Amino acid sequence: MKRGEMKDPRKTFGEAVLAQAEVDPRIVVLSADSSSGSGLSPFKKRFPERHLEFGIMEQGVIGFASGLATTGKVPFVAAIAPFVTSRPYEMVRNDVGYMRQNVKVVGRSAGLTYSDLGPTHQSIDDTALLRTIPGMVVMSPGDPVELVKAVKAAAEHVGPVYLRVGSPPIPVLYDAESDCPFQIGRGILLMDGKEVTLIGTGAALPRAFAAAETLRSQGIGVRLISLPTIKPLDRELLLAAARETGRIVTVEEHYVAGGMGSAVAELLARELPTPMRMVGVGDRFPPSGPYDEVLRDNGLQPDQIVATVREFLKA
Amino acid sequence: MLKAAEELELKRKALQVRRNILRLIKAGKAGHVGGALSMAEVLTALYFRVMKIDPARPDWPERDRLVVSAGHKALVLYAALAARGYFEEKLLDTYGSLGCRLPGHPDMHKLPGVEASTGALGHGLSIAGGMALGLRLSGLPSRVFVVMGDGELAEGSNWEAAAAAGHHKLENLVVIVDRNGLQISGPTVEVMTYEPLEERWKAFGWATRRMNGHDFGAILKTLGETPFERGKPSAIVADTVKSKGLPFAEGKVEYHYWKPPAEELAQAERDLAEIERTLG
Repeated sequence: MKRGEMKDPRKTFGEAVLAQAEVDPRIVVLSADSSSGSGLSPFKKRFPERHLEFGIMEQGVIGFASGLATTGKVPFVAAIAPFVTSRPYEMVRNDVGYMRQNVKVVGRSAGLTYSDLGPTHQSIDDTALLRTIPGMVVMSPGDPVELVKAVKAAAEHVGPVYLRVGSPPIPVLYDAESDCPFQIGRGILLMDGKEVTLIGTGAALPRAFAAAETLRSQGIGVRLISLPTIKPLDRELLLAAARETGRIVTVEEHYVAGGMGSAVAELLARELPTPMRMVGVGDRFPPSGPYDEVLRDNGLQPDQIVATVREFLKA
Repeated sequence: MLKAAEELELKRKALQVRRNILRLIKAGKAGHVGGALSMAEVLTALYFRVMKIDPARPDWPERDRLVVSAGHKALVLYAALAARGYFEEKLLDTYGSLGCRLPGHPDMHKLPGVEASTGALGHGLSIAGGMALGLRLSGLPSRVFVVMGDGELAEGSNWEAAAAAGHHKLENLVVIVDRNGLQISGPTVEVMTYEPLEERWKAFGWATRRMNGHDFGAILKTLGETPFERGKPSAIVADTVKSKGLPFAEGKVEYHYWKPPAEELAQAERDLAEIERTLG
């Protein structure tokens, strides 16, 4: 992958699962009529006996995944994010979380991806829901390199994982794969600075990145952190950023309530209270419309992030 | 045909299971007694005759599994596991204490032999279906049994799982519905319509039977004939009496959950002693 290249994250996800399945025969894929839209058609073609179809059975499929995991399989269940998170929440909490099963729940087209399809299909509460489940790892990779590494890490991690994936094309942000030291529970320092820290996750990372570049060109010492794991949080990296820059701005395609910003705020409130701004969706059902316009409606475009940071620095 | 001596032996085991249920309730001072007692014979048959298990190796990959989907039947599960030797019976006396290994609904990580953590209704069949599918994918001949409540069948998620089990032809999956006809608010016929039960399961691709859930002859014959049809999961509607074994509570809705006054507890002990006397 080359820096700047645009990738369809669903396709990248499907390729990464297939690559992992080639070396790990325990991996099975469960589809709730959702494999083709999740980039898993190549997996189905390559491993038809390991591809299990359930139709639009968005509660039951989670229980089946849990049961499969008890027999040593490593099930990946991928579907449009709300339909594997808020719809079957109790199944994810009890059958996967409470039962501590090695299931990988993948919410794709997460965030405001389905801006035009409206609030039923947008997924802006999934992080809030899933990060309350004890033992659940919540990953939200923000570029194709992070995504590939997240899939590998999810497959190798023993325990429940929620992987949040967008669907609009996203740019490669790293020069080389080796520049992305992905590890569960670790954030990645993308730019260093001393005045303010900008933290992006998931599909919002590229816009946080663009905003940081603008701020830097304006002479502002911005530190940019990618947070591809929301749970567990990278405590050391975040506390250092709070201590050294004194201001934190979080950016995510999620409700401000309960999202990545909330997770960071919970940490800082406890250990190092630090002024924050949280960019995300407020307490409302967002309008439907073109993706770029819905992002703007929620203050998530790079120029709006720049404005938020500049106002914060004046405050 | 079940030999008289074998039947007597099983009845003695069922009595032990009922005594364990009472022991749990004494320890915890309350419990879901009705739907536990109604399944005493079925779980006795499963653990002592039907399932391929080894209590000394609860994680043996080739074991048969039992998922108690109606997790409030935890008492009969604990009672049967203790009777079968998965753990010492004295552990039953910790029921209801803080952090005990026998919570009000079963936790698979707390006790050997508990295959799934259930409690919220309508979860167990999907989990069991996944087990059956996983065992088949692994080439193992093991089977998965599921005990469900009749009132539980109002949960739509069960019918998702039933459809998937039928679609995937999970021949190694056997459901037993405890048709005791009562749920917390009253007789099931007044609360929600579940019949025709066998036809419902058939429509989802299952083969079905109906049996007397307290008659070991009927239970062993029916379970012995599973799978009823090649390429289909099996569903058994077990006609039972809620609170079976305690005549003062049998068929009474208020004994779904029981916080026994001292005199009822004493009566229950006399009732079980009477069963023992009739067994000789």
